[in-house]
Amino acid sequence: MKYLIIVIFLFIVFSLGSAMFYLVKGKGQSQNTVRFLTVRVAVSVLLFLFIIFAAYMGWIEPNRPSFLQPN
Amino acid sequence: MSEASNDQYYVPHLAKWPIVGSIGLFVTFMGAIQALNSQTSITPWLMFVGIGIILWMMFGWFGDVIKESEEKLYSTQVDTSFRMGMIWFIFSEVMFFAAFFGALFYARTFSVPWLGGEGIGLATNETLWSGYEGVWPTNGPADLNGRFEIIDPYHLPLVNTLLLLASSVTITIAHHALRANNRKQTIIWLIATVLLGAVFIFFQAEEYVLAYRDFNLKLSSGIYGSTFFMLTGFHGLHVTLGAIMIAIITIRVIKGHFRPESHFGFEAVAWYWHFVDVVWLGLFIFVYIL
Repeated sequence: MKYLIIVIFLFIVFSLGSAMFYLVKGKGQSQNTVRFLTVRVAVSVLLFLFIIFAAYMGWIEPNRPSFLQPN
Repeated sequence: MSEASNDQYYVPHLAKWPIVGSIGLFVTFMGAIQALNSQTSITPWLMFVGIGIILWMMFGWFGDVIKESEEKLYSTQVDTSFRMGMIWFIFSEVMFFAAFFGALFYARTFSVPWLGGEGIGLATNETLWSGYEGVWPTNGPADLNGRFEIIDPYHLPLVNTLLLLASSVTITIAHHALRANNRKQTIIWLIATVLLGAVFIFFQAEEYVLAYRDFNLKLSSGIYGSTFFMLTGFHGLHVTLGAIMIAIITIRVIKGHFRPESHFGFEAVAWYWHFVDVVWLGLFIFVYIL
């Protein structure tokens, strides 16, 4: 489950990078910039919802210091 | 700004800002040296004077650039140079955060397990840190600064993630509105973005108070405390800067700057805000959750 979260995060970074590519290219490419930024926001919101769901289902657990681990 | 009304590369006459900036930097670092070495006084007043000069330079220089842009003095070549400036700035920002995320990754994946006796660290563990378990989060085998509790990711950090994500949604709406030449909507959503950013910073400060006062989690709490505060602290600084940038862009939109087909200043700031949000998402995932 951790790896799924990381893969989705990498996709978000990729969308952000693509937006940057068109931003720097200029020459009337601003439609592509805003499109990739919209994709990146949408996927981020979905990832956020997924993290909450995964935590609720007990698929992921937050890390805790070893001296606080119940054992 | 990108409208080519002038084929010449615009060069301003008698620009005073570069030398003002140099003096500001010089004074800042002289002040910092004085503050660090002074035995009698710890007042870093000279440093603050220097920072004041730099802020004055930024205000004046950026103001001049905005004015020149609105006066259509810039050619497409200047436009390209702004875009090049943006990519170098972002490259430095990416490398900056990569260093801190890299430190976190290296400590968690290599250093701490080695100290705990994993792999090549067996002898280290037995002779130096016998009995130390390399489990993250940790303040290291020397138990620096004593035991600490960590922030529950599903309280304040969760709220903060929601706030920052919402602010990215609002700036995206503003972006679409500007492209559709709907200025009123653009202004409303930009103001919403600044407010959400401000609330984020407020909660981040609350979290620090909680960490220091109740959880004994400090910058000095070993590798966990260091990476936690360096990453979240510098991120908070970037949110603050981004919010100031968006506030200025909002004033510019109110003043009638930018056009649906030409608004690089807006685009660059919007992208920067998205970048800051993605950094937070990375923090939320790698510092708090996983």
